[in-house]
Formats: sequence, structure tokens, C-alpha cells
Amino acid sequence: MPPAQTNLLQGTLDLLILKALALGELHGLGVSRRIEQITRGTFDVGPGSLFPALHRLEAAARLASRWGPSENNRRAKYYTLTAAGRRQLDVETGNWKHIAIAISYALEAT
Amino acid sequence: MSVFSHFRTSVRNVAGRATVERELDDELRSYLDLLIAEKVKAGASPDEARRAALLKVGGIERVKDQVRDERPGMMFESAGRDLKHGLRLLRRSPGFAAIAIVTIALGIGATSAIFSVINAVALKPLPYPNSDRLVFLTSQFPTLGFDKFWISPPEYLELRERSKSYTDVAAYRITAVNVSDGTRPERVNAVAVTANMFNVLGVQPRLGRAFTAEQDLPTSEPVVILSDNLWKRAFGGESSIIGKQVEVQGRKRTVIGVAAPGFDLHDAAADVWLPMGLDPANRQNRGSHYLYLVARLKPSVTRGQAESELLSLIRQWGTINPGTHTPNDSTHRLQLAPLRDEVIGNVAKALWILQGAVLLVLMIACANVANLLLVRAEGRHKEFAIRTALGAGRGRILRQFMAEGLVLTTVGAALGLLLAHWGLAALLLANPQSIPRSAEIAIDPRVLLFTFVVAILTANIFGLAPLLHLGQSAVAAAIKEGGARTTANATRNRVRRGLVAAEIALAVMLVVGAGLLLRSFHNLTAVDAGFDARNVVTFGVFLPQATYPQADRRAQFEDELARKLRAIPGVQDVAAMTGLPPNRQVNANDTEFENVPMGPGLPAANVDYYNTTSVRYFEAMKIPILKGRGFTPGDVGGAGVAVVNDALAKRFYPNTDPIGRRIRSSGPANAPWFTIVGVAKDVKQGGLDQKVGTELYFNIEQGPHVNGFAPNALNFVVRSARPADALAPAIQSAVRSMDPGLPVVQLRSMESVFGDSVSRQRFLSLLLGIFAGVALLLAMIGTYGVLSYLVTERRREIGIRVALGASAAGIARLVLRQGLTITVAGIALGLVGALTLARVTQSLLFGVSPTDPLTYFAVGGVILAVALIACMVPAQRAMRVDPLVAIRNE
Repeated sequence: MPPAQTNLLQGTLDLLILKALALGELHGLGVSRRIEQITRGTFDVGPGSLFPALHRLEAAARLASRWGPSENNRRAKYYTLTAAGRRQLDVETGNWKHIAIAISYALEAT
Repeated sequence: MSVFSHFRTSVRNVAGRATVERELDDELRSYLDLLIAEKVKAGASPDEARRAALLKVGGIERVKDQVRDERPGMMFESAGRDLKHGLRLLRRSPGFAAIAIVTIALGIGATSAIFSVINAVALKPLPYPNSDRLVFLTSQFPTLGFDKFWISPPEYLELRERSKSYTDVAAYRITAVNVSDGTRPERVNAVAVTANMFNVLGVQPRLGRAFTAEQDLPTSEPVVILSDNLWKRAFGGESSIIGKQVEVQGRKRTVIGVAAPGFDLHDAAADVWLPMGLDPANRQNRGSHYLYLVARLKPSVTRGQAESELLSLIRQWGTINPGTHTPNDSTHRLQLAPLRDEVIGNVAKALWILQGAVLLVLMIACANVANLLLVRAEGRHKEFAIRTALGAGRGRILRQFMAEGLVLTTVGAALGLLLAHWGLAALLLANPQSIPRSAEIAIDPRVLLFTFVVAILTANIFGLAPLLHLGQSAVAAAIKEGGARTTANATRNRVRRGLVAAEIALAVMLVVGAGLLLRSFHNLTAVDAGFDARNVVTFGVFLPQATYPQADRRAQFEDELARKLRAIPGVQDVAAMTGLPPNRQVNANDTEFENVPMGPGLPAANVDYYNTTSVRYFEAMKIPILKGRGFTPGDVGGAGVAVVNDALAKRFYPNTDPIGRRIRSSGPANAPWFTIVGVAKDVKQGGLDQKVGTELYFNIEQGPHVNGFAPNALNFVVRSARPADALAPAIQSAVRSMDPGLPVVQLRSMESVFGDSVSRQRFLSLLLGIFAGVALLLAMIGTYGVLSYLVTERRREIGIRVALGASAAGIARLVLRQGLTITVAGIALGLVGALTLARVTQSLLFGVSPTDPLTYFAVGGVILAVALIACMVPAQRAMRVDPLVAIRNE
């Protein structure tokens, strides 16, 4: 399946970003690539959605950021989860599982 | 913590705006670099990688804009930028900005001014604690046609004893008295109240104390409470005034209190409060109605309950007081209404109509400014199209329009408030007594809030108007148009023409309203008052009972003063009377008519006005005698005679000659009879817009020896070609030579008395006239603006037409037709609107129907003419279009 710029529900994108950052600090492109990887290429998040979401989450104190050197030795802005972000990830993951199960039940119903 | 960090981010975003912007820039640049590096690593050439990366990002600015929209605080930042942008644009076109701001200021100023009047008069509660519990009680005499009449003292006392709905009932009577601190006498308004009035109203004096029940008896030591105003004006605001004596009506009274500042009742502008001095034991003179009542409802009682209690009291009254004059269910009712309704009267309705009118003006102003903005947006059409194509969100462009509208309205509203402030001051100065509660009118927080809300609403209208044609499709169209002026923007023109037609329609409605009111006012001033009011100066003198106890001394005073006045150079005639038209209140006197059948179905034996006059009254006032004669010097020492007015003759002597018939005041059986000697033409005693009442004239000079009566209050009329100001010193000195303790009251020309009697109508028609004029002007500017624009836009088309042989007249017709189509549509719409609103204005009109065809036609014609003038200039410009220039320019 080719990487699709699927229209993500806003909450879903936030959840994916939180999940991507759960494993460690990443810069913007890194977050985008990690999401691509963990969704097995289903989602390719473009900058138009990615950066507004990152800044929104940072403003809501779910993420923290710092400037650091990138792999090509340039400055890049790295994001990490805050404690609040981690808590939200847990809550959202739980919610999502409920929804996913409910929806798959609904779709399998005859 | 999240809220705090949110706040911190906001602060950082706003405060360190440059840093944040730079960081965002850096972040996106590093993203782009990383992306390029990634692509190069995958084997692309640097150029290819770069192009692919840029394509993927799809517009750095757009991404930034989206981030800005997400970040808290960024909203303010971009709003600030929009505002700055708006200001810059306005600075670049000061002419446009000035016109728009002045238009908005006029609209908002007028709206706020009228609202502050409404706020003070109709919205604010009366200035007493829990004033919504206060009710006003009056009587009603349906068979006499009196809808709101006074209540007699026995009725008051019995009502107070028997009713259970009120914490208390107080009575009052508005009058005027001579007051003197011992040196110069002054005539001031006074209210005589029962002792409990201050408690019922819930406002205690600022100094001293209110009247006690013991001070409110016929035999009590005379006391008085001064108004705050009089205390400061005449007694220097010294607190030592308490216990001092002042002279009221020639009688010394001890000052026991000074009322709270602004304390008043029923807009009496009272300077002196007197105890009523009713005798609680006296239940005689049941038919003597002269009290108004104010009662405070008990907290648990509703007005409905009080009303039903009143009704059952009225039904019992006759059985408790059998055989006397008592309230009953059919001919002598009692009624109650909120005190507030009584004080405001019918002016609230007039004010709401004015408010409606100014809102129309404001709407016209909005339409005009929206149109101006549209025209400007037209010019910036391509700019916006390009910005949209470059990725500016529609939200951003919308916000920018809003910002421009906001700048215009903020400045406009501020200027409008200033206008409102000055306008109000001028208004109140010109018409102090035509609005109730005018002392309370001010620009207060509620008015400011109102102005704020109106301004926000207008800003939104302006902001949104240009978007009407900036839809998504318009963006594409604008680019395709490529600058060529085509007729493709028909939609936009439709919006603009619609706005102008709406403006004209609103203006028509306003001008029709103003026209009807002006005609009413004209009708009022053209009413035949029944006497010749030109070249007449009038003033009043009050002879206190204390210094003029005997009737013959009072009659003598009148006679002597009249003689002195007649000796003033330039004075042709002088007369005195008790009742000065045209502002008299009905005094409804029970009267006995000899040999006139009375009974059910026949007119009640009651005369609306008694007027006691000097011998030369009819000559001096130039009132024609229709039959018989007026008073003559021979009557002074002769038998009792009376003159009746035409209305009385027609009512009580419909088929017979009243001359020679006898008449007397009801009361003691031995009261003397008066023989009717003449019938005089009707005089408008009660007001120019009121129907004439029945009137009976007695003679002052013969009173003392016929029935021992002579009036205390006298109005003099002096017929002279000299103006009031020129006569005043001579009149003053004539009165002073008779009695230096008597103030001359309200010396003025009869014409100004008439002017005052129609001041409210004048005030209304003046204001509505101004609003209509402004509306007309704005609509004219609007029509002119849009037509000019259409002509400019069609220059090439016109050029081609001229080149193909169209005549100048043909071109002019083309433009005029366009203008007239809009105008006629607007006029038709406006006339229909005015007809719909006719019901609202009905109660304010006098002698003209709210659907008066003449007014409607005239207004239609005037607006058409005005629109034609507005079309002329653009049409002429169209005629002068040089085809070569027009075509080459494009």
C-alpha cells in the first residue's frame, strides 16, 4: 500500500505524534518518518499538518522542545514528551482501543 | 499546570514575537534541509531533491500561517498585524477614511444619544428604592370623559383605612408658591404631601427630618422642607437652616428638613415640600377632587391582587357611605397603574420611534460605508486573489477585512460618542421640559456598553460586506479576468445596487415619518386657539391668603394693577383671569343649571373650566362674542352675570337661547345665581391638540359683593406691540409699587406660552427631521458613489458605443436609466415599508392620517428628485467620455 496523505482525524494525529515520541526525542521530519514507520507506511504526515499539531501540543504542555544538532550537523528543533503528554498518551490509547474494538464489532455485525 | 504553561506560551508568543517567528522559520528551514538531505541520500541530484522537497512542503508561508493559527497568543499577534495593515491602508486613502469615519460617527452618535435618553427615561427604574412596588392611583369619570382624574380627601382617607394591599398610601398635590428669605421673593414649584410620603417613596431628607403626622394637621405649626437645589441656591447650603423660618405664601414656616439631592415627585421639579394638612376627621366635600395618590405595594401583594381589592372596595363604598358622592363601578371608578408609567407618560413610545429612526440612519450609514469598502475591495480584488493563490487562508483575508472595519468603527464610535455627548447637551438645552426625567439623562456605563455592541456589530457588517463577492469562485475569476474590465462582475454590482436601493428605501421610510410629524406640528400651530395670541405679554401674580385675606382687597388689587399696567406707554389693553390658555387642567366643577333637565342619558351637570376674569377680558384677548354681550363696567356693581362658551351653550342649551338663563355653582342652597348674558367663541383651554371643553366665565370685580369670592392666583395679559423684554421692567415696577413682596411669575409672550405647549411635538419633529435629512444626504451620496463607479467601470463600453455613433443624450439616458431603476425600486420598497409602519406613528400625529397620500407622493417625488441630482454628475461624466482615450487606455 503506497504512503497515503490520508486525512487524519485531529485526535488521531495527536495520538500518533505522542506515540512516535514515546520512544524518544525526535525533530519534525523524524516524527513524520517514525509515524510512517510505525504505521507501516500508511500515513505520510506532511508539514502542513505536522507543524501545527506539534506547536499545538507544545502549547498545551504535552510536548517540550529544545534545539540541538541534527544528523547533517545543522540546528534542528527536537521534541520530547512531557509527563502530561505521557499521561495523555495512556488515556488516549485506552480510548482508542475501545473505539477500535467497538467499530470493528459494528462493521462485522451481520 | 497546563493552563499556566498555556499562558506562558501565549505570553512568550506575544512578547517575544520576533524570536518565535525566527524559531518557526529556522524549524521549517531545518525541516526542508533534512528532507533534501534525505532525498540526496536516496540518490537524487541536489537540484531534483530540492524541487521535490519544496513541492512536498507546498508553501512555507502557508505552513507558517497554519502554525500561527494553532498557537495561542499568535491570534493577537496576527490581529495586531492586521490592525496595523488596516491603519496603513486607511492612511493611504485619507479621503475614503474620513468619509467612512464621519458617516459611522454620525450613525453611532445619533444612536447612542437617543439610547441614552431612552436609558434614562424608560429603562432605568425611578430613583426610589424598590420603585417597581410604587403605584399611582387616580379616579375615572367615564360619563364626563375624564380618563385620569384626581381623588378627593375623604376618598383618600377611606381608601387608606380600608385597603390591605399597601404598606401605606400617600397623597400629594403639585402647586406653586411664593417663597422669600425675607428680601427677594421667588415663585417656585411646590408639592404638598401627606406626612407619610417620604416613607412611601423610601427617601429621607438629607438634613433634618420628614414631616410627622402631628405636623400634618390643619392646626399644626407651619413647617416646610426645602429642596436641595433651593437650599443651595437661596440659602447658601448652610446646615444651620434647620429651625430657621422662611416665608412661604406670605406665611412664616419653620424649615425642618432639606430633601435629598435630586429628590422629586412626578417631575414636579419641586423646590418646596409642604405638609398637606388634611383633617383626618373631615369627610365633607366628597366631590372636591384634587389629590393624586402614591402607594407602596406590600412585598407579598401583586398589582393584580391590589387591583381586585380596589374593585371590591369600590363596590362596597356606596353601602358603607350611603347617600353620598362615593366611588362606584360605573360613573366614578378608581384605578391604579405603576408610578413609572405615569411619570414617563406616552413619551416612551415616541422615544422608541426615534430610536427606530436612528437605527435606520445607522443602517443607511452602514450600507454606505459597506459600499465604499466594496468599491475599495474591487480595486484590491486582484491583490486578494493573488494572496489567496499564494496560500493565505480565507480566514486570514476575512480577518484583514474585519480589522479594517474595526479600525474604521473604533475611530467612528469614539467620535460618535463625542457627538452624542454634545448632541445631548444641545438637545436638553433646547428642550428642557419636553422630556420627563431629563435631569437623569447621561452617558453612563449602560450607554457605553450599548455603543460598544453597536460598534462591534457595524464592524462585522463592514468586514463581511466585501466578502460577499470574494467567494472561492471570485478568486479564480479575478485571475482569469487578468485586469480586463469586463461585465463579468455582475454579481458584485448586484450587491452594490441592492445596498443603494435598500438605503433609498430606508431613507424614504424616515422622510415619510418626518414629513407626517412635520405636518402634525404645522397643523398644531395652525390650530385656532379662539383668541388672538399675537402681541400679548402674560405673567402671573399670586396674592397670599395671609396678606390678602379679604376678597374685596384682592379684587381691588387686580383693578388697580390693571390700571397701572394700562398706563405703561405702548400698552393697548389689559385683562386678568384665573385660567390661562392653552395649558389649563380641567377643573370639572359641579354646576347647577336652572330649568335644564338633568338625568340619565343627559349631559352631567358639570363644567370643565371655570374662569374668573376682569371686565375687559374678551376685548383684551380678542375673543369674539357670538351672542349677547361680554362683561361691562356696569356689571361691577350689578347683579351676578356669567358668560358661557359656545361648547357649553351647545351642550346644555341645544335648542334654546342661553341668554337670560341662570346658572350657579353646586353647593350651598343659598348660593347666588348668575344670569347668562353672552356666548363667547370657544377657547382652547386644555391644549391645542385637545378638544374644547365647556367653560363658564365669571367677573372678578363683581365677585366680592355677589358671592364673596375673588381669586388669589391671577394671570394678567397685556396687549401691546412691544416685546415682552421691553415691557418687563415697567411691569415689574408696577407690581412692586403695589406690593414689593410679590414675585412676578413667568413673564413672557403668549407666543412662547404656545411654543411651550407644543414643545414635545416640536422636539420630536425636529429630531426626526434631522435624522431624515441625514438619511437623505447619505442615500444621495450612496447613489452618487455607486453610479459614478458604474460609469467608470463602463467607460470602455461607453467609448465603443460613442464610437459606433451613440448620441450624448443616448449615453446619458443609459446611465440615468440605471440610476433610476435602483431609485424607483428603493422608493417603492420604502413606501411599502412606511405604510407597514404607519400604525406605529399614528398616536403621535395630529390632524393627518398616517397613510396621508399627499405626504407619500411628496416624499416619493422629493427622493426621486434628489436621486436624479445624484445621477446627473455621473451621467454628465459619461457623456464626456472620449472614445479614443477610453478604448486606448484599456
